[in-house]
Amino acid sequence: MPTHIGIGFSQNPNSSLAAREAATKAKIQTQQPTVDCALVFHTIHYHPAEVLESIREILGEAKLIGATTAGVILSESIEMRAVAVLAITSSDLYFGCGGVPEGMSGDIRQAGNLLARRAMMDLGPHPRQGFVCFTDGLLKNSSPIIQGLQEIFGTVFPIGGAGASDDFHFRKTYQYCQDKVMTSDACGLLIGGHGNFVITGRHGLRPLGKPRIADRVDGHIIKTIDGKKPYSLYEEFLGNEAAGLRSKTLSPMAILYPLGILLEEEKEYLVRNAVDILNDGSIVCQGEVPEGAEVHIMMSSKDSLIQAARDCATEIREAFKGKTPQAVVIFESLARYKLLGQAAFKEILMIKEILGNTTPLLGMYSYGEIAPFHSPGPLKKIHLQHQSIVLWAIG
Amino acid sequence: MESFLASFKTLDPVAAFTLTGVVLLAVVGILIFLLLGRIDQIRDLKQSLQKLSRSFQDLDEQAKLIVKTDLELNKTQEELDRRLNGLNALQKASRLISTTLDQDEIFRRLDQSLVLELGFEKNLILMFDEHKKLRCRVGWGFSKEEILHIISRLEKELSLNAALEEGHSFSSLSSPKQRKEKIIELFGVDHFILAPVLTQTGMIGMVFVGNRSGASSMTEGDEELMSILANQIGQSLENAQLFEQVYRSRQDLESKIQERTKQLAIALEEVKKISKLKSEFISAVSHELRTPLTSIKGYASILMTGKIGEIPPEVKERLEKINKHSDNLVKLINDLLDIARIESGRFEMKFAKHAIASLIENVRDLLTPQMKEKGILFKAQIAAATPEVFVDSSQIERVLINLVGNAIKFTPREGTITIRVQPEKETVVCSVVDTGIGIKEDDIPKLFSEFYRVDNEINQKVKGTGLGLALAKKVIEAHHGKIAVTSKANQGTTFSFSLPINRIEEKT
Repeated sequence: MPTHIGIGFSQNPNSSLAAREAATKAKIQTQQPTVDCALVFHTIHYHPAEVLESIREILGEAKLIGATTAGVILSESIEMRAVAVLAITSSDLYFGCGGVPEGMSGDIRQAGNLLARRAMMDLGPHPRQGFVCFTDGLLKNSSPIIQGLQEIFGTVFPIGGAGASDDFHFRKTYQYCQDKVMTSDACGLLIGGHGNFVITGRHGLRPLGKPRIADRVDGHIIKTIDGKKPYSLYEEFLGNEAAGLRSKTLSPMAILYPLGILLEEEKEYLVRNAVDILNDGSIVCQGEVPEGAEVHIMMSSKDSLIQAARDCATEIREAFKGKTPQAVVIFESLARYKLLGQAAFKEILMIKEILGNTTPLLGMYSYGEIAPFHSPGPLKKIHLQHQSIVLWAIG
Repeated sequence: MESFLASFKTLDPVAAFTLTGVVLLAVVGILIFLLLGRIDQIRDLKQSLQKLSRSFQDLDEQAKLIVKTDLELNKTQEELDRRLNGLNALQKASRLISTTLDQDEIFRRLDQSLVLELGFEKNLILMFDEHKKLRCRVGWGFSKEEILHIISRLEKELSLNAALEEGHSFSSLSSPKQRKEKIIELFGVDHFILAPVLTQTGMIGMVFVGNRSGASSMTEGDEELMSILANQIGQSLENAQLFEQVYRSRQDLESKIQERTKQLAIALEEVKKISKLKSEFISAVSHELRTPLTSIKGYASILMTGKIGEIPPEVKERLEKINKHSDNLVKLINDLLDIARIESGRFEMKFAKHAIASLIENVRDLLTPQMKEKGILFKAQIAAATPEVFVDSSQIERVLINLVGNAIKFTPREGTITIRVQPEKETVVCSVVDTGIGIKEDDIPKLFSEFYRVDNEINQKVKGTGLGLALAKKVIEAHHGKIAVTSKANQGTTFSFSLPINRIEEKT
């Protein structure tokens, strides 16, 4: 039996009814009596426990992970209030779920280890294809979780994922793992067996101005740039508007002009959102920054962002060697949704144009994306990225 | 090198010293030359570095300029996007609520659209009931208790209500500080718009939308859009109310019409019964009259022949009068009987196709002596393509005789009587036009009533039954035709009637 995939969604205002409707539609689309695995996305307007319970009633024993999101991306529209379910039934693929409901407040790297081990244990002795995870997007620094995962899976093992988001209020996000609703935690799905599993990501931002050096860095906090307070860099460029960065959330200025860290060995810029400014002028980034790295203020245009999506889709098409993926899951930064504005759906149309209009699509808007870093070099390392679009194709 | 050292050792000390000096000088010279070259290189490098540094500075300045421009463009773009989104949402919401005339449905549709399309987290639509108390019709993002609390507080906010009543909207952008803080505290939001729902009769409710954080703050455009939407809600509700009123009035009217129709149907049945009784009575009486009348007429005729005995001229004169009046009475009775028969449906018509021209010719032949006597000109104008009519020829001749006879009677000497025949879609219309004295306007509606006779000089002189036109109408109606009259005093009268071209199926 090959792989069967179904996608369902609902906008019913009632959490239980919406979840049932979405799960039922997804299950019907698989045309199979049972569902092996399900991916759940829903906007923060719905009650997580009610959603999970109702989906479970419809999908039975399916392995299940999910996350809250600011919006659901569908083949035909982008909905800012919806419940969506992707259901998979397959004889070729095997699934293992893992979660860290104990919380991520302690050693995040250790939590990454735990997450990988639990998923491996749940998968059993099948050959591993890739790992998809959801973390709490409100974590100030999610990078260690990737390091934790890589300690178990290895540094070149394909990992994709996203930071769960809310409705841009940065208050609370939820993650699902099997029958547990979690917050400030992480969950993941290890996929094994035989099948195509391709993850790719791009951001499409370009560096501005002269190169500067982040000469003092403490994990995800940049202490000095070129020996000066990092905040002065933003002051130089944005003037009074730079004050907007002191919001403890993702301000419009942070979205428009994030920092780009040049990774020397990969000849590409890693985007880091500046989520806060400390009293000493240090910049708090949403992810680690290597000390001594070259930094730039980054900027994008609608065209460059859509071009990044086009490149991702093209990479998927080439990896599938002309075959159509059975489904494509999109993890896209919410910042991109804000940047693209009215053109947000154009990006989705572009992906459809390249991968085929009939390719089922489901996506979510995230606070942070995990994907192999796009670089000219042969070795594509996994990084926590921002303002990027990540495509995960299953075939 | 070894040979060079060996030859050097063979030199005397002075020569060796001199040679060493020369070599050293040469080396120093070379070193100085090289150093000078390196200094130039360092100077060049320094200049290049300065150039590079300047380029970087320029690059930075350009980048700052780009950022500044980009920032402005982004702000404009963001506002434009918000406006577009707002307009799209407004258009969708307006379409949703304007395509129904059911008040509950309007609120049901707004329930979702305010949240889904306009993107506000919290919203309330509060409407006044018949007791002027606020009632929640749409509530998102609030618990029942919160809504009750808001309503009770709002009802006490007299100044706010008064301002809303005047058509003012409030928002977190434009409201005075004190009022803004009060609304923020009351609804538990950071950003809000509060707009009145107005109709021609005044404020009927209010619309509130709000967001909790600055991440999705509002613009002046949003305030404008919400005011438009509130107006649209007011209009839709007013339309729905008007529709309901019209619908109810129509229902009332329909029930009244039904009641009246029922009463009329009963009255009609009653009239039919009476009419039937009348016809039966006339029929019975006519039969009863005709038998003795036949005897009277018979005896009068026998007496007049003189077979029973010679009768004096005075008696003969009286007998002739008896005979003449008996004939009149027979005609009257026959007409009455025919009317009764036609009304009761017992009159047997012999329908067949006939050329109307031949019927007219028969009538002309019959009435020519009378027309000649008065010097009346008779004209028959029959349209060329007139088809045959499907009629009982004797009855239509009877109608024509009646109409032409009347025309002769009321047309002065040297007048004209014209019969015009014109085919129409499924009928042939025949008109008898005279140049007579005409009929008064008041008499026209009563002309076809039984026993009605127009009060004029001629009628006073010439006796008649008043049944001729009534019978003509019955005959034409029995042919599914219509008869009508137009007249102008002293100018003439036109009687027109229609006759079917083909057989007309009886309605069941």
